Amino acid sequence: MSVTTGSLRARFRRTDRRALLVAPIVLFDLAVFVVPFGYLLRISLTERTSRGAFVEGSWSIAGFEYVLSTPTLVDSIIFTLGFATGVTALSLGISLLYAYAIWRATGGLRVLLLVGVLVSMLTAIIVKLFAVILLFSPSGFINQAIVASGIVAEPLSLINNVTGAVIGQLYIVVPYSVLAIYSVLSSIDQSVIEAARDLGAGRLQAVAAVVVPHTIPGLIVAGVISFTWSVGSFAAPLLVGSSAERTTGIAISDLLQQNFDWTAAAAMGLLVAAIVFVALSVTYVALGRTNGGDDE
Amino acid sequence: MSNTDRATQWLFRLGYGSIFLLLVAPVAVVVATSFNATAVVTFPPTDLSTRWYTAFFSQQTWLRAVRNSLITASGTAVFSTILGVAGAFGVRHLDRRTSVAITGLVLVPLLVPGVILGVALLLFLSRFGLQQRLFTIVLAHALWATPLTFSVMRATFARFDWHLQEAAMDLGAGRLRAFREVLVPNVLPGIVAAAAIGFVVSLQEFIMALFLAGRETRTVPVESWLTLRNSLSPLVSVGSALLVVAVLVALGIAATAIGIDRVAEET
Repeated sequence: MSVTTGSLRARFRRTDRRALLVAPIVLFDLAVFVVPFGYLLRISLTERTSRGAFVEGSWSIAGFEYVLSTPTLVDSIIFTLGFATGVTALSLGISLLYAYAIWRATGGLRVLLLVGVLVSMLTAIIVKLFAVILLFSPSGFINQAIVASGIVAEPLSLINNVTGAVIGQLYIVVPYSVLAIYSVLSSIDQSVIEAARDLGAGRLQAVAAVVVPHTIPGLIVAGVISFTWSVGSFAAPLLVGSSAERTTGIAISDLLQQNFDWTAAAAMGLLVAAIVFVALSVTYVALGRTNGGDDE
Repeated sequence: MSNTDRATQWLFRLGYGSIFLLLVAPVAVVVATSFNATAVVTFPPTDLSTRWYTAFFSQQTWLRAVRNSLITASGTAVFSTILGVAGAFGVRHLDRRTSVAITGLVLVPLLVPGVILGVALLLFLSRFGLQQRLFTIVLAHALWATPLTFSVMRATFARFDWHLQEAAMDLGAGRLRAFREVLVPNVLPGIVAAAAIGFVVSLQEFIMALFLAGRETRTVPVESWLTLRNSLSPLVSVGSALLVVAVLVALGIAATAIGIDRVAEET
């Protein structure tokens, strides 16, 4: 009996010691993520001042009041939510089509399509945005091709406006969105489609009735990725958008580096983080529901 | 097959074909324009030359950017892989609830916009006068790299048959020998892939780096961004082409190590 207890205790101690290996990663995330965020929260609750970045040691909600009462900043939040919603909708459509194509393809074509999405995912954002300028500008390759083919007489203005910002942002989110949907699709048996078609469904009908419902968990993850990253979008609207596409990311950066108003910048950063958090929680609950539905 | 079906089929092919071309176009465009002979960046290029590569490698700012990128990417790869391997191993020996909580903590930074992470870190680090150092960029990049190295290593450890290690020890191997000759060779591909992924994450990231970098610590994407804000320089094409090559090499290593399907599924 005492031997068993002894070996159990030894075993317990050994188990504990191995579990300690999580310490570095936990400490890292506490020190580099949780604590800096706590500090951001603290700064957002200081008094605003025109002398220096913020008033050390003071307590105030002036930063949040300022953000929520300044029309340009409120507009920026509203614009960003609309922008993110639009990008998410487009991203889901494009990604579903492409992920479905990978899933249906076989052999070399399947590998090729998969490589395409991986290449894009691994292309640096700055490279993609640079290429968007070169491809979509009025003198760019795509516009030249459209004009040469005679579809339009004048080049379309596809960059330095909201279209450009959306194209740029899609380049950032679509690859991840495709993979999220594909990872769910790849676990579905392809014969469900043949079965639906044997039962008389048309091609589109079979996809809409059989594939889409099974893909919902993947679509939700893809939606979360597209939405949260677009809510934080900064580079695409700044480089391929115009001054009218002022996202919250750009507004925060301006508050910090041009106005030197750390309190307001921190407050706005936390508001955006809160929006992301709410979106995530809603989705998490929704995801739990769909999974629960599948179990029944 | 009905006519509508055939039309749908062709539209479908046109759709995914165009998406494929648009997905891979940036790589083709920057590589092609980097060999352009003219000072105006045009695609497709009219005359080919390597003059912009020569110009790139003779400019101090770009050379420093290349060096900074290599240092931060290697640093991120090593640091996030160590954290990921240790964390993924340790988390196996925790009860379910703690393990879920830790996984959540590790994954959350991936969902926080880079601008906000960058601002939070900039404000926090400048309190200690630590901004504008390369290692702060490594720490920032590791926030996005560790969730991925951690996931890859969890999957790797989950695939490993731990009975093999016990079997080796039953057959007389010591703890160290079983570790070295059974566990390490089996999980090494996963470790290599994790490091490659960490390397790539850091190499590409530039929004956090933009906030944290000083004049001396700009990486290639940051330098490219600052240049692009002013003009379309052919030197950005060269920098971009180099980034593409570096990423493809790292992806090649990861794919040979664990297979392309797993890279696609786990990142």
